[in-house]
Amino acid sequence: MARTLAMFTDVSLCIGCRACQVACKQWNQLAPEEPEWTGSYQNHEHFTDKSYRLVRFFEEPDDKVGVRWHMMSDVCKHCAQAGCLEACPTGAIYRTEFGTVNINQDICNGCRYCVSACPFGVVAFNHDTGTATKCTFCNDRIHNGLGPACAKACPTQSIRFGYRDELAALARKRVDELQKQGHKDAQLYGEDPNGPLGGLNAFFLITGKPSIYGLPERPRLPQHNVFVDSLLSIGSALAVGIGAVVAFRSRGSKEER
Amino acid sequence: MEPGLLKSAQWPLLIDVYFFLGGIAGGAFVIATIANLLDAERYKSVVRVGYYVALLAVIPAPILLIVDLGIPTRFLHMLMVAKPSTEIGAGALIFGPFHLKLLSPMSAGAWALLAFSACAFLAALDVLLEQRGGRGFPGLRMVVGLVGSVFGFFLAAYPGVLLGATARPLFVSGHWLGALFLAVGASTGGAMIALVLALAGGDRRDALAPIMRTVATALVVQAVTLIFFILTVKMSGSLGIGRALAVLLSGQYSVTFWLGAVLAGLIVPLALQLAAGARRASVGITALVAILTLVGGFVIKYVLIAAGQVT
Repeated sequence: MARTLAMFTDVSLCIGCRACQVACKQWNQLAPEEPEWTGSYQNHEHFTDKSYRLVRFFEEPDDKVGVRWHMMSDVCKHCAQAGCLEACPTGAIYRTEFGTVNINQDICNGCRYCVSACPFGVVAFNHDTGTATKCTFCNDRIHNGLGPACAKACPTQSIRFGYRDELAALARKRVDELQKQGHKDAQLYGEDPNGPLGGLNAFFLITGKPSIYGLPERPRLPQHNVFVDSLLSIGSALAVGIGAVVAFRSRGSKEER
Repeated sequence: MEPGLLKSAQWPLLIDVYFFLGGIAGGAFVIATIANLLDAERYKSVVRVGYYVALLAVIPAPILLIVDLGIPTRFLHMLMVAKPSTEIGAGALIFGPFHLKLLSPMSAGAWALLAFSACAFLAALDVLLEQRGGRGFPGLRMVVGLVGSVFGFFLAAYPGVLLGATARPLFVSGHWLGALFLAVGASTGGAMIALVLALAGGDRRDALAPIMRTVATALVVQAVTLIFFILTVKMSGSLGIGRALAVLLSGQYSVTFWLGAVLAGLIVPLALQLAAGARRASVGITALVAILTLVGGFVIKYVLIAAGQVT
């Protein structure tokens, strides 16, 4: 495998201009959508089959300043342990040589299991093509050294793209910087390769608790349940099976008495 | 994460019907096999009806699944692709163009459905040969029965494990869905055999009593696993779980859940069975219990899937 590529989104630099969202739509030729009123500048409410990038707007009540604004350009996390990839029954979802997670549109048959298996609600079903779609980190661009369209378009360098180890070092430095400036809440989300889901290949610098950004504190790989659930199912099978054997063995003795 | 930010596969009613039929097929097959092993002569009618029910219930299954796909013509991709990618998950086994993903219940389920269908076909064929006056193949039937029973139980249980391996808060927080679905498969499979026998008339009392006791056992397991499921979900304490449970227990789906799945599908059939336990249940009561069990089995799967998909 080649060196892992990653995306680092620094929320403290985001100005909510949504250039990333537009660049993503243009490069990936995603069709326009009917706008949605979400109560803020955010559009749409969630990732769709035609919006792989989404700038989220959050308001956090604050005693001192009344309300704190948070803007975060959200994207597929390309998890090192990806729920969608493990769930996919066709093998359409695969890991690239760069460590990113892609959906092969020529294999996907539209079962939609990945849609419900993503711990971040990223994967969306496209009713026109009948397949599941999501951000590819601009697979065509990164294979030609261009970097994803969103990172290219970002005017504040809130979105950076590069080798994961280099970006992680940069991100940690940036957290220290912000902490020194008094932003005690500044923290990284998904940077730790030993953390939840084996680390996210799109990780974030956030300036508040993950829950403010709608991110789970400790995302879990849904497939961790398979082993225990299966064992319990076998237990249930034994209970039912033994019950049936006893029932057919006793030959209705009760009734014959 | 707020559940609102998660996505749902939005599987339609077709999938509920498939889970229901798969459960019946698996349950009926296992019961027929047990009857066949213990006393093939005495339980001839149970074996016959059980294997027929298993085959008839599993025939529509792949059709329902294929119709639901975004691109139905690619149904074969569940089992094989011409040029598979190499890195498709931790639990992936690849043999040439074929793949089996052990961590993906849907992948394992597709193979199990194929294997079970073959067993159900052979078993029903053997029963038919015997019925037509042929000698049948008792040895083969036994092997097919045992192998098919493993896949039958798998077919009944895996949809629950599949749901548990999603990010939906209601499904992911409890561990008992597979166990519950298996019990529902056994109770509905048994109920279907009993219903056919009760309606068919003739010599059946001998056969009906052990089936109804099997159904009763399965209903008890069903009740216990349902309670465990709700308790483990409650105790998981993950975000949004209160809201997800409320939809099932006191909100949108509560009436269907309490009246359909619990009262009509569990309490009434069990009570009727208990009341009739001392004496021989009349054919009418048996049919009623069977119908209630079938309805309850469908409703409990439907209501859990619906509640899990909206929250």
